[in-house]
Amino acid sequence: MIIQVRDLVKRYGDVVAVDHLSFEVEQGEIFGLLGPNGAGKTTTIRVIMDILNPDAGSAMVLGQPPGRAKGQVGYLPEERGLYRNLKVLDTLVYLAELKGTPRSAARERAMDLLERIQLEDWAARKVRDLSKGMQQRLQFIASLIHDPEVLFLDEPFQGLDPVNVERIKDFTADLHREGKTIVLSTHQMNLVEALCNRILLIHEGRAVLYGSLAEIKRQYAPHAVRVRAPRIPPDLPGVVGVELDDGAFNLALAEGASPQEVLRALLDRAVEIQTFEVAPVPLEDIFVAVVSGEEGRDDGLA
Amino acid sequence: MDWHKVWVVASHEYLINVRRAGFIIMTAIVPALGVVVLLFGTLFAGQARQLGAFFEQQFDVGDKAIGVVDESGYFSPILPEYQEDFVSYGSEEEAEAALMTEEVSKVLVIGEDYLETGQVVVISMGSGFSAATVSDSGTVRAFFVDHLLADRVDPALRERAADPMDVEPRVLSSGGEARGEGPWGFVSTFIIPYFLSFFLIMTIFTSSGYLLQSVAEEKESRVVEIVVSSIRPVELMAGKVAGLGALGLTQVLVWLLSAWGFSGGAVVLLAATGMVSLPLRVLGLGVVYYVLGYTLYAILMAGVGALGTTMRESQQLAGIFSFFAAVPYMLSGFLFANPNMLIARVLSYFPLTAPTMMMLRLPLAEVPWVDVAGSIVALLLSIPAALWVGAKLFRVGLLIYDKRPTVKEIWFILRGGRGE
Repeated sequence: MIIQVRDLVKRYGDVVAVDHLSFEVEQGEIFGLLGPNGAGKTTTIRVIMDILNPDAGSAMVLGQPPGRAKGQVGYLPEERGLYRNLKVLDTLVYLAELKGTPRSAARERAMDLLERIQLEDWAARKVRDLSKGMQQRLQFIASLIHDPEVLFLDEPFQGLDPVNVERIKDFTADLHREGKTIVLSTHQMNLVEALCNRILLIHEGRAVLYGSLAEIKRQYAPHAVRVRAPRIPPDLPGVVGVELDDGAFNLALAEGASPQEVLRALLDRAVEIQTFEVAPVPLEDIFVAVVSGEEGRDDGLA
Repeated sequence: MDWHKVWVVASHEYLINVRRAGFIIMTAIVPALGVVVLLFGTLFAGQARQLGAFFEQQFDVGDKAIGVVDESGYFSPILPEYQEDFVSYGSEEEAEAALMTEEVSKVLVIGEDYLETGQVVVISMGSGFSAATVSDSGTVRAFFVDHLLADRVDPALRERAADPMDVEPRVLSSGGEARGEGPWGFVSTFIIPYFLSFFLIMTIFTSSGYLLQSVAEEKESRVVEIVVSSIRPVELMAGKVAGLGALGLTQVLVWLLSAWGFSGGAVVLLAATGMVSLPLRVLGLGVVYYVLGYTLYAILMAGVGALGTTMRESQQLAGIFSFFAAVPYMLSGFLFANPNMLIARVLSYFPLTAPTMMMLRLPLAEVPWVDVAGSIVALLLSIPAALWVGAKLFRVGLLIYDKRPTVKEIWFILRGGRGE
């Protein structure tokens, strides 16, 4: 287990930012830490990064208290920036040295990483001379300059243009393949779906969804299939409703009916099927449904 | 405490700031002034008198004569040696007309009852300042004394009465040994230590100003969150305080070395022969107050500076400390007269004013040892307290980006409500 959070509580005065939160991050996975603004994601990350002390509960990183593991953890904060008047290479070397990396090793790794994000020609230039996109790429490699085991990326795609989103996404996937454990916090659900193995959804400091992304999607999938075909016969067994949506039919299934039965029935009736799929549910819909469900419940209680 | 990381921060801060244009200019300006003084000295070596006359002229109201309307009878006729500088007029109107046409710079109206009252009306054009200062003028003083005593006493006595003393300062320490004699003694016991104190104090403020700037910059650029995820805030603070303290010492060292260079080692030689032995005591204690004062101010500035959301806000917040440090300077007029006055002694025990107050007092007089000990103890006690408050504010302040905390929130932080 790379990260183990147990019953974590963090209050700011009367406001409970994190409320008895528990979760684990496993070796080598990309873990999605999701939630609406103000849900407590950044506070949780800050506790794990040893920037804040918890009021109760504990966080362990690589089997140690957060303060001891600083050298093995990388962090790209949501509120981020770099020394504007420092040279690119000097910035990276200084940040690596703060993490405990020796100067010479830091220089070598900095040049490697700069090459990977195509900024090697800018090493001797000042950070303020870089374009915004370049600075964002630089911030990204600054978080892994000390070759950490675990990487926390808090909104890494925020404010990026599509080209840079794609670059950072590919870089993240590469790091995952290299065996790094990555905790990704973002509002861009399509990227979570593309990258994450497991997720935790926090709302008002509490866990409301936690587990494997595939499992969660299965759990929240509507009981329906989506078929692209010229026509749908009216009295298909197991189908309780048909709806035309964006050039395809959504078939709501009766309780106990399986998609396979429906497919068989369609083939039996010689329907020319172009596509057939179990209706997917976007993570975004699950997110909205769960969060507004929670809010509805809170309102009900109030 | 990870001392390696403290060292990384300290050397980083030192190297970044030692290259700043502001620092280089500040450091170079003192030796540059020395060069200017030397050049002037060489250029005008034979013309010192003219140079002095030149400056005197700049500050004098003018070399025009002074009109005199004498109703007392003591000043008529004007003695021959004063006839160039003083012109007698029969009436006030006549004299005023001369003033209007700028024949004279001012008019003295000496009344009939002058001997009893001493009253003299001084009429001048424009500012009343020159009229008010006329009694301080040596020439005017001599004019009065000479005329009052003319023919009544012998010339030597008359001359002495007009200029009763030519001061040569000679100061004894409590042990009885002379602190210095003649003009050089005055320079070595007072001028050199005074400027030394002044520069040390200035260095405290440039260094802690850089510290403030460095904290505010990290906060404003948001790099701080990456930094505190790598290093504990107290280590960051310690590194910054140490690095920028070393920077300040570098500045002082450059100044001292350049002073030595310019004077061809004269200062050092004099120190070796014992002539500047007391200033060395001042120098030794000066360094102690420098280190303690800088540490206290730097810690407080780092803590308070971290609360601001922008550089400007941080500077405003830290301004309160500069104010405290400046209080002894506001009192320096009184300090020259009596360096051991009660308020000076009280402020020497108050940690925020102690470093500047003591640095100002030390060159001026023999400061009671109890004040020296008391001020050092006060500083030594306040530094851990400042560290406790400063580190706490620093740790929490660093992560508050959007707004400056209110006094209530700061109190809450200090009670351990947040961040700890």
